[in-house]
Amino acid sequence: MKLSEAEKGKRYRICSLKFPPHMKRKLLELGLFPGQEIEIVQDAPFGGPVKIKVKDYCLALRRSEAENIEIEEKNGR
Amino acid sequence: MADKIIKVAVAGNPNTGKTTLINAIAGTNLHVGNWPGVTLEKKEARFKYRDYEIHLIDLPGTYSLSNDTAEEKIAVEFLIKEKPDVVIDVVDSTNLERNLYLTVQLLELEAPLVVALNMWDEAKSKGIDIDVEKLEKLLCIRAVPTSAVKEEGIKELLDAVVEIYERKEKPKCVLHFEDQIEEHIKGLIDKIKEVQPILLDLYPARYLALSLIEGNVFFIDISLNNEIQKYVQNVREEIEKLYHKDPVTFIVEERYSIIISIYEQVVKKHVVKSVDITFLLDKVFLHKLFGLPIFFLLMWILFEFTFELSSPYVDWLDETLSSFIAPLTAQLLSSLGASEWLQSFVSEGIIGGVGFVLVFVPVLFFLYVFMAFLEGSGYMARAAFLMDRFMSVLGLSGKSFIPMIIGFGCNVPAVYATRTLENPKEKILTVLMIPFMSCGARLTVYAFFVTIFFTQHKTAVIMSLYLLGIAVAVIVAFILQKVYFKSQSLPFILELPPYRLPTVRFILRNAWIKTRAFLYEAGTFILATSVVIWFLLHFPVGVKKTEDSVFGHISKAIAPVFEPLGFGNWQAAGALMSGFVAKEVVIATMGNIYAGEVIQETEEEKIDIKEKLVQMGTGFLQANVEAGKKLLSIFGIDLAGGEEEEEFEKTLLDTVKNAFTPLTAFSFLVFLLLYTPCMATVFAIKQELGSWKWAGISVVISFTSAWIVAFVVYHLGRLVF
Ligand SMILES: Nc1nc2c(ncn2[C@@H]2O[C@H](COP(=O)(O)OP(=O)(O)OP(=O)(O)O)[C@@H](O)[C@H]2O)c(=O)[nH]1
Ligand SMILES: [Mg+2]
Repeated sequence: MKLSEAEKGKRYRICSLKFPPHMKRKLLELGLFPGQEIEIVQDAPFGGPVKIKVKDYCLALRRSEAENIEIEEKNGR
Repeated sequence: MADKIIKVAVAGNPNTGKTTLINAIAGTNLHVGNWPGVTLEKKEARFKYRDYEIHLIDLPGTYSLSNDTAEEKIAVEFLIKEKPDVVIDVVDSTNLERNLYLTVQLLELEAPLVVALNMWDEAKSKGIDIDVEKLEKLLCIRAVPTSAVKEEGIKELLDAVVEIYERKEKPKCVLHFEDQIEEHIKGLIDKIKEVQPILLDLYPARYLALSLIEGNVFFIDISLNNEIQKYVQNVREEIEKLYHKDPVTFIVEERYSIIISIYEQVVKKHVVKSVDITFLLDKVFLHKLFGLPIFFLLMWILFEFTFELSSPYVDWLDETLSSFIAPLTAQLLSSLGASEWLQSFVSEGIIGGVGFVLVFVPVLFFLYVFMAFLEGSGYMARAAFLMDRFMSVLGLSGKSFIPMIIGFGCNVPAVYATRTLENPKEKILTVLMIPFMSCGARLTVYAFFVTIFFTQHKTAVIMSLYLLGIAVAVIVAFILQKVYFKSQSLPFILELPPYRLPTVRFILRNAWIKTRAFLYEAGTFILATSVVIWFLLHFPVGVKKTEDSVFGHISKAIAPVFEPLGFGNWQAAGALMSGFVAKEVVIATMGNIYAGEVIQETEEEKIDIKEKLVQMGTGFLQANVEAGKKLLSIFGIDLAGGEEEEEFEKTLLDTVKNAFTPLTAFSFLVFLLLYTPCMATVFAIKQELGSWKWAGISVVISFTSAWIVAFVVYHLGRLVF
């Protein structure tokens, strides 16, 4: 499923990133690589950005960007 | 005996406290903020420590060294070309994992590293335990816990810097990737050694090899040997075949797998029973329903705070200059036997010009205080988060909203507020839109005209002008997007840092540095323009009427340009010309021109210095009281009393009434709204965008859109009425 469809407060794992190279590198370097645990904390009104938590920090991404991040539910915990 | 100079570069992720740390170390005033990417320029500090002279350079905050954003280019080029003796890598101890990514890349660059484990205080209170010694061993570096705001760990950090500087041999400590890829790296380095060894003199071997494999060669300025290119291509294909990943993903993951293993050995988290304040505050500030209203409330307070609180000081400065300093100098000069012409030049041209500069000081200072608070507290990133949805329609991001709001008060600080936009395209676009935000000074002209021509519809007319400004800004943004920026929308990745309470010292120091910069740099420009205008008004020497001055002649020459807009008389043209200096003087100029008065109106009254000094002092106290009252009234306690109606001279009202029709008056106001706001704004644009080119483009855009829109308004109006 897509990160944009994730339920708030639930934990997921990143499967893949579908971005042009430049943007993809940036996200990877920020720690959003496949296998990384990720969580949507909050979203902005009127379809604005989403606040996500990765590692020990929070990041805002646009919804259109969140659509390009494939995730899966984190099992076994 | 000359001290040894140690050149130290300070690198780190955005928002880790680099600037605060440099402040704590060197005690110099540098810009500090809580907004990722504040420091775009390189900033330096020099000081003595023990027997050494230390030169510190603040590098822009970056998450890595491999993208080719402006910040990363600056950082990489500095590290490679300037070869600092020591690099302090400031990391956020509460967020070590991501911060270590840059550290690992710095090690690939063979930078002599001292890691400052900053935010140590915060890490402790969050129950994060870091084994410093183990970290040092694993990375072959020195690491020192610091807390920049509390000025702790500074001495230890500097001792570590000296120790690394005096160290005789480099430690050989390579962070190994998987064996197979290590072989490829070694093979590639050997190949380079064989066919193009100069590369290895220029760039650190491992960083070079990895960059080639990753395909980011932005820092290499000589063309690569064909054989190397072929070799690199091979390695890349090999990686894809072996790991089914593109080389970039593969290498980033390799780095992170090293980091994760280090992180797990070094960091221990205790569960502490404490509330996550950031989490809770975000629940409120980013709330789906309340987030935006709270934001607008804060913006309203920002606006009131800046413009209401500063206005008593502006008035006081104005009063002091015009009724004390200026006449006093004139008197002094006349007693020295100076000609009337010279007296007028000094008191009107020079002191008047100084006045134009000084009136911005209180406004800017108050604005910067508030902005520093927004940045330092971390709220700025939230504002960007909330507004992004709306600004993205224009191809901008949420960060560009605040400067535009400020523009309604005054365009000058608004342009300076774009400092927080790190994407150059976004910054340019925002700066070009700001002049269309109708500022407070333009309101004085609207107020004058509506009392003459639109007594029934005052508010509607003024509102329509504000909205028209916004509409034109949006259209201009769209056109620029299509024509110049080719409409690619900006990626939006924004870190939401934890909320922090900035210290008063942090805020005041910050506000003062920026205000001072304005005084030094913009001051001279504004003064010069004002002197030029004065000369235009007073040449040829002895001229009695504005009409006969050079200013008058120029006005007559350009008047036909405004003919198609309905106000082709030289008086209107002259008023617009003076409006380029500052919109505040438009009405005064009109008074001069239309009333046909003589220019000099020197008051022959003797000035009692003592009495004036007392007036000046009490005036300042009163300004403080006024500001205090206004501060209260912002929060709903009204002590300031009602607004006083502006009074205009009867003769001026009558002449203007005869010179314009309601339609031409409106057309005039439209033009006044849209053309270049003032010379101070032009200079601010030059400063923020770093070249006169953009200032020029802004002026051209403003004039053309003003002319076109006023033309359309006038002719549509003629059809309708
Ligand atoms: N608690 C705590 N806060 C700190 C510490 N050091 C810095 N801060 C705060 O962190 C925020 C960011 O500090 P800056 O010095 O602007 O960070 P920077 O690394 O220069 O940021 P950029 O220039 O944007 O890359 C400010 O609000 C500081 O007050 C620290 O050691 N402890
Ligand atoms: Mg900084």
